[in-house]
Amino acid sequence: MSFRAKLTTIFSMTVVAAVALVAWGVSTYARRAFEQLDHQRTDALLAQFRREFSRRGEEVVHRVEGIADAEATVRMAIDLARPQADPSLYVHDARGLAASHQLDFVEIVANDGTLISSAQWPARFGYKIDWVTGEKDWKSQSAFLRREELPDNVALALTAVRTVQVGEKNLYIIGEQRLDKEFLASLVLPAGMRALLYRNLEPAYISSALTDASGPVSQADRYAPLIEQVRKSAGGVHALEQTIEWSGDPAGAETFHAIPLAGRQNELLGILLVGSSRRELVMLTNFIGWLAVLVGGAGILLGLALSWWLAARFTRPVERLAAGAREVAAGNWEARVEVRSRDEIGQLARAFNHMTGQLAEQRERLVQAERVAAWRELARRLAHELKNPLFPLQLTVENLLRARERSPEQFNEVFLESTATLRAELENLNAIVGRFSDFAKMPAPHLQPVNINEAVRGAVKLFEAQFSAIGRPPITPELHLDEGVAAIQADPDLLHRALQNLVLNSMDAMPAGGTLTIRTQSQNGAVRVEVSDTGSGLTPEECARLFTPYYTTKQHGTGLGLAIVQSVVSDHGGTLAVESQPGCGTTIRIELPVCPPAPGQPSAGNTRTSV
Amino acid sequence: MKHIGFRFTAGVSAVVERAILPVLSALCLTLPVHAATRPHYGGTLRLEMRARVASLDPREWPADSTGAAAAERLASLVYDRLVRVDENGRVQTALAVSWQHDADSKRWQFRLRPGVKFHDGTPLTPDRAAAALHPLLGNERLVSVSGEWLVIQSSQSMPDLPAELARGRHFISHTTSEGLTGTGAFRVAEWEPRRRLLLAANEEYWAGRPFLDSIAVEMGVHASEQLIHLELSKADVVELSPDQVRRALQSGARTWSSAPAELLSLVFNLRRPAVQDVRLRQAVALSIDRSSIVNVLLQKQGEAAGGLLPQWLSGYAFLFPVAADVERAKQLRHKLSAAAPLALVYDSDDALVRAVAERVAVNARAVGISVQVSGARSDATAGADVRLIRLRLGSTDPRVALDSLLASLGALESLPPAGAVPEQLYAAERALVESLRVVPLAHLPETYGLGPRVKNWMPRRSGGWRLEDLWLDTSSRADESGGKP
Repeated sequence: MSFRAKLTTIFSMTVVAAVALVAWGVSTYARRAFEQLDHQRTDALLAQFRREFSRRGEEVVHRVEGIADAEATVRMAIDLARPQADPSLYVHDARGLAASHQLDFVEIVANDGTLISSAQWPARFGYKIDWVTGEKDWKSQSAFLRREELPDNVALALTAVRTVQVGEKNLYIIGEQRLDKEFLASLVLPAGMRALLYRNLEPAYISSALTDASGPVSQADRYAPLIEQVRKSAGGVHALEQTIEWSGDPAGAETFHAIPLAGRQNELLGILLVGSSRRELVMLTNFIGWLAVLVGGAGILLGLALSWWLAARFTRPVERLAAGAREVAAGNWEARVEVRSRDEIGQLARAFNHMTGQLAEQRERLVQAERVAAWRELARRLAHELKNPLFPLQLTVENLLRARERSPEQFNEVFLESTATLRAELENLNAIVGRFSDFAKMPAPHLQPVNINEAVRGAVKLFEAQFSAIGRPPITPELHLDEGVAAIQADPDLLHRALQNLVLNSMDAMPAGGTLTIRTQSQNGAVRVEVSDTGSGLTPEECARLFTPYYTTKQHGTGLGLAIVQSVVSDHGGTLAVESQPGCGTTIRIELPVCPPAPGQPSAGNTRTSV
Repeated sequence: MKHIGFRFTAGVSAVVERAILPVLSALCLTLPVHAATRPHYGGTLRLEMRARVASLDPREWPADSTGAAAAERLASLVYDRLVRVDENGRVQTALAVSWQHDADSKRWQFRLRPGVKFHDGTPLTPDRAAAALHPLLGNERLVSVSGEWLVIQSSQSMPDLPAELARGRHFISHTTSEGLTGTGAFRVAEWEPRRRLLLAANEEYWAGRPFLDSIAVEMGVHASEQLIHLELSKADVVELSPDQVRRALQSGARTWSSAPAELLSLVFNLRRPAVQDVRLRQAVALSIDRSSIVNVLLQKQGEAAGGLLPQWLSGYAFLFPVAADVERAKQLRHKLSAAAPLALVYDSDDALVRAVAERVAVNARAVGISVQVSGARSDATAGADVRLIRLRLGSTDPRVALDSLLASLGALESLPPAGAVPEQLYAAERALVESLRVVPLAHLPETYGLGPRVKNWMPRRSGGWRLEDLWLDTSSRADESGGKP
């Protein structure tokens, strides 16, 4: 992965993480805010319920007081206070009182607790109602919740009791109003909220006891766990909460707060369920989620663009540095990088420019040094080569000068010998000069199809006589030629000359005799030629300078043989490599392309050395 | 064949009793007073009743005795029976002027009153009387004609046949193209089943033309509305439930109550598994506080009933206990396994019965027996475990009345023969009560509210109407304020 890609990825992930973090934070805050609002609304509804409860209670008290204060009631109390009073005369009065005072239930109870008349259960007359006589002062009592038994069922009612006192006898008036769906309908509910009432009047949970403002509640069994929880909670004084999911859609869920409603004896008589729809919260959360996705997506795109731009801004100097480095590697020592900033990248570019400057300067100095060294080596070689023939020439000339003092016959004899020697040495000098001249005048190759195997065989054939010459340790040539190699485009003369130099070089490396091995083979569109000897091998230093012109490890070499080989190979676009270890012989490997590059194109040829 | 007696004199006496004596007595009593109190003809009596009578055809009356009783009251104005029972329980002549039977009482012969015509002018003949009685007496009794005699014979002894023919549906009617017609004091002028009946005076009534020109009967009127109509003089005669009597008196209306003529009782349906255990029925019976029912719900307008017949009729009713025994009822209940609530059904048109039914449920609940009370039409009580019904006694003869009750209950118990001593009747009645198939609660009188125009209201002690003897004081202010029916 490129540096730019890495930078882009890092930037993008940073943007996504930041957006996700913000979305999560906003969602969490929104949820908490909604829940807080929900609690506030629930509290408000509960307060409203209590107000309505209190108002209804006062209303019931007021109506019961109205009954107790009525003249007919007072007359009834007076009549019933008499000995031998007949309460049966009033058995139907409660129903009329209930209707006229808009109460659901009215009961008239005698001083001893005997029911005289009941509006809701007329047939119950004559039975005792003990709880009403247990309280001494009903006047100060406000309305309370009570479980009211009816002929067929039970009801939850807001109850108020007042007394009409005649002498020492009381006539109790019990007035009640049902706590049912009409009561719930009177509550003003905010949108998304509803109130349900469970009348806890039976030992076990029954779904029909649950009602809302419109009547029986559907799927009432779903409320059972929450209601059972309230019923089982000790004292039933704590509000509980539960979320009910009506379907797979989370927006359809409702959170219910259960508020216990207790009677006079703190018995749990009812449970108010305040339901709050989670639709708004879910919609808000979804909105935030989608917004986060959109913002995240936009952020990612923006981040990609920004990170791409920033990465490009950061990596462009680096890429210029890399290009400069590649130019330097290609040999352009004058390559420079433009410096546009003063930051670390600018410092790096300046350092690069400084480095290339230093390298060019050192290279120049090195070239100068190598040139001087080459000239010195050339001078030394020339001096050495020229000194060998010059010394016999000097001796011959001196011998001629001394022979003038001898007899003409002796002089003629010496003269002939000396001239012969002079001629031989001069030819030797001429040969030396010719070799140098030949190296200096390496011709441009004239390419034509050449069978490399034939070229190898031709070169080896020239030296067959020398391989087994008398007085010389024998050299065994071994040819491993791949007959399937393709013909290459090469100059046959130059190729022959290069191969000849390689064979000659290998023979020189094996003064004690050995095996000369030559291999040819196809190699990825090229032809490989390996020439190996079993000589003493070369040191790494020798390998490094092996192809340097005029460098030789031999006593009588010119140091031009392998230089000529390298020149030929290079002119054919090939490569030249040497592998050698001291004591293990040397292998020189040539790879020549089947079709050398056109003149002017950069050559792939180079030299490798391995030890 | 034993000849019971020549009863032409009885027929004359009936005419005298029904038509002449009231007039003479009224004349004698009212000579010193204003002439408006004298009996005179004319006027329309406006009568309201709670029941809704669907048919005046005796063959179509419902089996329920309450519904049949209302129909019987109306039918008695249109049709006559062969014989009737007087206030002392003795059989008297009506359409039959004499009768005789063989030694085994298996064959009876009735001689019809001569000159009697149906409302359409058709003469009453033995053939027509036989045709009317044949579907009413069943296949076990053969009705035939022998000369001028109407003959009823059976393979079983029928010692009480005259008493039986004097009550119930045994009216003599004649089928015409327009329907049934009778020989009664009134003929049907307009008839809207279950709603309204307008009767016109039968000018040729064999016992003399009734004083009233017509009677307008409104059916299905709620008890409270009847009382209001009476107070507003929109009705002349209304039925009063016991709890309305006090209010009617307070409003200045006249009331009249018969001797206890109805039995209010629980009747268990022994085919229902829920009530087949006698201990349960006994627990229910012992839980009921009859005194509260009578004193409060009936406003003391009745008697707590332990037996089927009231004290005035049998003379031994006090021997049946009426007090509740809650502890004993609880003990019995504890011996029973838990059971589903008993279904107690009452006539949904009868508010008094409903109140009593609810009280019974309260009493039963107090001993641990759950009773579910529901109203239903009298002909739709098949699914009930127990019914609360009113049974009309139907006769002033205790044996006949008990027989009538047994027939209404569908009981198969046999009663001692006619002329049996009260001990035998008591034993038979006690056996029935102790079977706990029926639990008597109270005996109710028939109570009527009477408007100021109504004169000579002299119903039978057992509650039957005698509207042919009634006349209206059309000169009173009440008449002026009263509307036409």
